Amino acid sequence: MRVRVVPLLLVLHWKQGAGSPLPITPVNATCATRHPCPSNLMNQIRNQLGQLNSSANSLFILYYTAQGEPFPNNLDKLCGPNVTDFPPFHANGTEKARLVELYRIIAYLGASLGNITRDQKVLNPYAHGLHSRLNATADVLRGLLSNVLCRLCSKYHVSHVDVTYGPDTSGKDVFQKKKLGCQLLGKYKQVIAVLAQAF
Amino acid sequence: MPDKLYVLNLIVAVIFYLPVRKIQASQVTQGVTSYGVLFGLSVLSEPLPLTPESLSVSINSAKQCLHLQWTVHNFGYHQELKMVFQIQISRFKASNVIWMENYRTTVTRNQVLHWSWESELPLECAIHFVRIRTMVDDARIPVPRFWSNWSSWEKADAQSSLGDHPLYVFPKDKLVEEGSDVTICYISRNHQDNISCYLEDVLTYGKQLDQSVRAFELKNVSFVRKTGTNFYCQGQGVTEGVVLFVSEVLEEPKDFSCETRDLKTLTCTWDPGDDTGLIQMPSYTLFESFSGKKTLCKHRNRCDWQVTQDSQEMYNFTLVAENYFRKRSVSILFNLVHGVHPVAPYNLFPKNVSATNATMTWKVHSIGNNSALLCQLQLLGEGKVIQQHNISVRVNGEYLLSELEPDTEYMARVHCAYADHFWKWSELISQNFTTAEAAPSEAPDVWRDVMFVSGHPTVTLFWKPLSKVHTHGKILSYNVVVENLDEPSSLEVLSVPAPANSTKVTLNQSSYQIHVTAHNSAGPSPASTVAISGHPGNENVEEGRINGTEDGFPMSWKPQSRNATGYVVEWCDGPQNLPCVPQWRNLGPTTTGTVISSGAFRPGVRYTFRIYEISTKRMARLLEKKTGYLEELAPSYNPQVVPNNLTSHSFTLSWKDYPTESQTGFIQGYYVYLKSKAGEKCHRGFEKTVLPDNSVCCKYTIDNPDQKTFVMKDLQPESVYEFLVTPYTSAGEGPLDDFRKVTTPDEYSHILIHIILPMIFCVLVIMIACYLKSQWLKDKCYPDIPDPYKSSVLSLIKSKENPHITIMNVNDCVPDAIEVVNKPEGSKIQFTGTRKSPTETKGTKPAYLDLLPTEKNYSGPGPCICFENFTYNQAASDLGYCGHFPVTPQAPHCQLGPLTSPENLLKTLEQNYMNSLGEIPAGEANLNYVSQLASPMSGDKESPPTNPPEPALCSEYKMQMAIPLGLASPPPSENSSLSSTTLLDPGEHYH
Repeated sequence: MRVRVVPLLLVLHWKQGAGSPLPITPVNATCATRHPCPSNLMNQIRNQLGQLNSSANSLFILYYTAQGEPFPNNLDKLCGPNVTDFPPFHANGTEKARLVELYRIIAYLGASLGNITRDQKVLNPYAHGLHSRLNATADVLRGLLSNVLCRLCSKYHVSHVDVTYGPDTSGKDVFQKKKLGCQLLGKYKQVIAVLAQAF
Repeated sequence: MPDKLYVLNLIVAVIFYLPVRKIQASQVTQGVTSYGVLFGLSVLSEPLPLTPESLSVSINSAKQCLHLQWTVHNFGYHQELKMVFQIQISRFKASNVIWMENYRTTVTRNQVLHWSWESELPLECAIHFVRIRTMVDDARIPVPRFWSNWSSWEKADAQSSLGDHPLYVFPKDKLVEEGSDVTICYISRNHQDNISCYLEDVLTYGKQLDQSVRAFELKNVSFVRKTGTNFYCQGQGVTEGVVLFVSEVLEEPKDFSCETRDLKTLTCTWDPGDDTGLIQMPSYTLFESFSGKKTLCKHRNRCDWQVTQDSQEMYNFTLVAENYFRKRSVSILFNLVHGVHPVAPYNLFPKNVSATNATMTWKVHSIGNNSALLCQLQLLGEGKVIQQHNISVRVNGEYLLSELEPDTEYMARVHCAYADHFWKWSELISQNFTTAEAAPSEAPDVWRDVMFVSGHPTVTLFWKPLSKVHTHGKILSYNVVVENLDEPSSLEVLSVPAPANSTKVTLNQSSYQIHVTAHNSAGPSPASTVAISGHPGNENVEEGRINGTEDGFPMSWKPQSRNATGYVVEWCDGPQNLPCVPQWRNLGPTTTGTVISSGAFRPGVRYTFRIYEISTKRMARLLEKKTGYLEELAPSYNPQVVPNNLTSHSFTLSWKDYPTESQTGFIQGYYVYLKSKAGEKCHRGFEKTVLPDNSVCCKYTIDNPDQKTFVMKDLQPESVYEFLVTPYTSAGEGPLDDFRKVTTPDEYSHILIHIILPMIFCVLVIMIACYLKSQWLKDKCYPDIPDPYKSSVLSLIKSKENPHITIMNVNDCVPDAIEVVNKPEGSKIQFTGTRKSPTETKGTKPAYLDLLPTEKNYSGPGPCICFENFTYNQAASDLGYCGHFPVTPQAPHCQLGPLTSPENLLKTLEQNYMNSLGEIPAGEANLNYVSQLASPMSGDKESPPTNPPEPALCSEYKMQMAIPLGLASPPPSENSSLSSTTLLDPGEHYH
């Protein structure tokens, strides 16, 4: 199931109408960012990917530990990275294509992480460590998304990218919320390693 | 069916009403009446029973409830009726009725009726069927009453909306109370799938309800964690689960009470009890019944209530705690002014602090219309409340604290309560302050130690630090004023900085008064005065003994003067062998006894106490001296005993070096132990005793501690005795582990000594004499040239070989030459020549007479001349040989083995002879013998004395013997030289 618009994700984009599918801007279209892009964008993107990669596993462990049994002992069944609608990534593509795919992935992850953070604040109100790690990861994802868009805009004149989001968990039962969050973080751990390697 | 029921009702009615209503019966029998006619004679005329209509069933998944809704029509003329509804619920199929219940209620006209049923099995896991019938249950309706027809079965199917997922687990997110039972079920679309379910990772087994439904009954569930208990099922590639939220039982609030701090706001508090363990906290609501107001509390243990302005004093509060499962409530009746708990006062400060007074000020928060508060001011010193004052305060509080001690730190603290009705003190606030200093209030306690050095007194003044009560500040210094009484104008002032407690003053032979004062920043203390005489007093007083007790040393004394102003007892805390810091105690003039105690006193240490009388002129005079132990102990070691004067029957023991003053008790005497191996009887004065090691010995008691010698008598000669001397005190004797042995000598040993010693002396004299006269003795007893007649060789030759061999008589020989020896004095003793080097003797050249032909080129190293006498039989070699040859350690000269034949003997002799010649050292120039066969050494004259032989006797005696011709040796070499012209045979001459 695809949910195209999640209000929580509005913060991820500074353009009006963010959250709706964004087409890739034609090359000859003008592209302007609200803030000037830094000169060492790719370095920043690499550093942010490395930072996320270094913390992904500990975030995953922190999450499934907080859910209680049977999650820690049944990671393959409950937390397997079988997220069907996860945006693809091709490491052998051009930089532009890779950046566009990275943008989609980061947008997807940011939305899902927002859902997870919201759910965990209800289900685990006293797991402050988990909350702060989720928030910190979401912050880095937002920065990364901004940098990727800057790069796309400044070098490839792409200001709009069509993105998709994961399922909204707000209407699901608690077990589903726990399981979907665990699966997403397992997928996140897996894909962020590939991304860090690709850039 | 309705027709049959109608007929049946009709029959029942006929049977029931027939006896009483004949008319009706006749009508029935006529068979012309109708249902309406039948009841038209009674109260009701409408057709009954009433059938439920419009039954609908809905599912509430969150609460797992079936919700029924229906209506009843045809009320006739009635607006309401009491009715009973019978409801049946079936599961999976209509015939499987699992629940039937009668629901009684009053039904109004056109009312829509509702009824709910909670299923223990999640409704999603099974199809449910519901039907209902009704009966009038109203007293206005006469019996009998009849059930209506059943409604048709209504189906409740929650599965139809589930979708096509292969596995579902229900109920979702169920909230249960701890200890209750829960049923969980799953629905599997794939019937072939083998599904396992786990509760918190524990495999759980359920009951198959249907082909695709299995239920799990969890009994008495317990709380696991706030985030819920996980239950999940795992099929072929699919995992689904649910979370159970288990709540602990909500407790009733305890200790519910209310108070106000300002008469404007009420605060009610309570103990909510244990947390229910749910993320969703219970709600707490406060109701007030008089005003009818309520408020939802923001905290689980506290709630604020705004006091209205309508002067309501009484409040009836009810606190309701409520969660999903329970509701608990408690109530109190509260009078507003009886529960005033004022806010703590503030701004507590001291002002105008002097040495003995301080004023404390503070402020309070106003209550209501400036109601008065009762404040309590406490003064604490060293943690204890020493003053407490109650003051009525409206806004500002003030109080003067007096009777304070100078230079003392105090704590002032204050709290307040509602003056109109005391209920509770406010919180305390506190403030520390210190009073100002004042001059010390007491003179220091001073004592002195006077030493006379070269007739001049040297006074060491000691004083005790003033107690904190008397210092009134920090002592900065001590002033010592020395006043010479013989020279009133002479004053010497010393200032000793604190914290020193002594000083030394050297005086002359005048009389002095010394005044000591302690100073702090506020001034000096009163002076303490001691007087010193310029001359030594009488220190020779008799020393008495005192016994210590648990309380110390009790002592008393006899006053010697009626004018004494007091007494001082002086002592040292430490043992006598350590430097003494004097301790003293001042006592009043009427005191004649005291008990001196000190934490420093130790058992087994001797303490000496001096008691001084203080005169009116502050002069101290020694009254008495007392010595004692706090507790006497047994001696810790024994004296070093020296045994002497040892005879065969006695010896003396002496231990004069044993100090008695430094012992652990007063030495009362000594025990002398004596052990003998023979186990003899004890001598007179001894008594038999058994030692701790069970050995038996004799013991003698010396009861005079000054006796330090003892004579052991009546002992057996040549016997071993063991003795031990140990002191004893009132606490016991010393250690018995150091017995020493002594052996009494033989009875005649003294005689032997009288003989042996002179003999040894004589032998020594003789040896010395022999040494001094060795040459003379040698000449007499052991000359260099032995007497042939005394030779043992001769006797051997005679007896074995040639009895005709005779010794050549010197008188029969005609001397070939006469050599006159000019013998120098220094070479007289030839034996000593062995220590001289050839160079030393080189200059000693003998003088020869030219009676003997000599080779011109002879330049032998020495003129030693050997005399060779061949008159001896060769067999003499069997007895030995030439014991006076020069001997070198490297060249063994005894060759005993091969000398068994005359040839061997001859060779041996020849060899020995040659050796002897060759070993004559050069330079041994002493010549004292003349021989006709004397010749210089051959072969040596050209060879340097690289390996000089041992110095030998310069004169040698060569054996001379008649040699058969056949045994002649080869002729001598050309280098050989002969010094003698008289030869038995020239061809048989050997060197």
